[in-house]
Amino acid sequence: MGTQLDEYLEAEIQSLLADGRIAELGITVLRRENLLVLGGEVETPQRRDEICRQITERFPDVEIACDIGIIRAQAPSEVEEIS
Amino acid sequence: MIRIAAVGDVHVDSDVLGRFRPALEQLPDRADVLLVAGDLTRHGTVEEARCFAREFGGLAVPVVVVLGNHDHQSDQQSRITDVLTDSGITVLEAEATVLELHGRRLGIAGVKGFGGGFAGACASNFGEREMKDFVGTTEVIARRLQDALLSVRVDALVALTHYAPVPDTLVGEPLEIYPFLGCYQLGRAIDAAPTALALHGHAHHGSERGRTPGGVPVRNVAHPVIKQAYNVYQLLSEEVDLELIAT
Repeated sequence: MGTQLDEYLEAEIQSLLADGRIAELGITVLRRENLLVLGGEVETPQRRDEICRQITERFPDVEIACDIGIIRAQAPSEVEEIS
Repeated sequence: MIRIAAVGDVHVDSDVLGRFRPALEQLPDRADVLLVAGDLTRHGTVEEARCFAREFGGLAVPVVVVLGNHDHQSDQQSRITDVLTDSGITVLEAEATVLELHGRRLGIAGVKGFGGGFAGACASNFGEREMKDFVGTTEVIARRLQDALLSVRVDALVALTHYAPVPDTLVGEPLEIYPFLGCYQLGRAIDAAPTALALHGHAHHGSERGRTPGGVPVRNVAHPVIKQAYNVYQLLSEEVDLELIAT
């Protein structure tokens, strides 16, 4: 029997993201019918790839769609006046 | 006029080196000081702190930071503070610093802060020892922030925390985790002083703008929220001048 895409799996993945080398607390895990969709943003492509690698290694029969973005780090073009 | 650049939750490790630096090198043309609202590192290691110091240190403007929960993960917060301080970065924990900028005095009071929640949905200092320790920690930290804010006489006063002082800037986060993202006690401390601006991070899915019950502007500068290297806020404006110097 394959891994159930239930809330225990979701909790295990959130725990993996927080406890391991990853240390990402801001990743969202959405359960679709036969698919887990990962969302949120991280600082580098290496971190995004490591998240997907570790989840795939731990749950090899779970299909992952990775929508994790990389946060832009350009200088701002505006200033906000505080009053 | 004083211009403050601010960001939080940059989670620096060796893989981040060089990502922020081009934007940071432009800071002297854009702002007078850089404030970083905690979570400087990923796992709170000394090596990561050295990476942060390399990426965010040695700038032509003063850099003032507070630590975040990630910076406590390895129980190395004292050594992290030493590494940053040795690199010329000012680390605030329950204290204030005053900068003279363009003949005006800017005061910055900072603490990491802690959780607990907000009015109507917060933890109480009651029951098990663990719960009383949790809320007691929140109350002590908030009182220290208030003391730090009231310890300086300045032209503009900024409160810098990692945890949020209001729920307004958490909108976008699941309601269930608000008590882990901030507490009303920080907001009350900010309102007890003539604070001009409160900056925090921690809430990656939150929103940018809010106000304390007393009317102090609050900005969530977590990097995933502002989606750029830093935001710039202008205080003590003498004239309407919202254009940054072109580079």
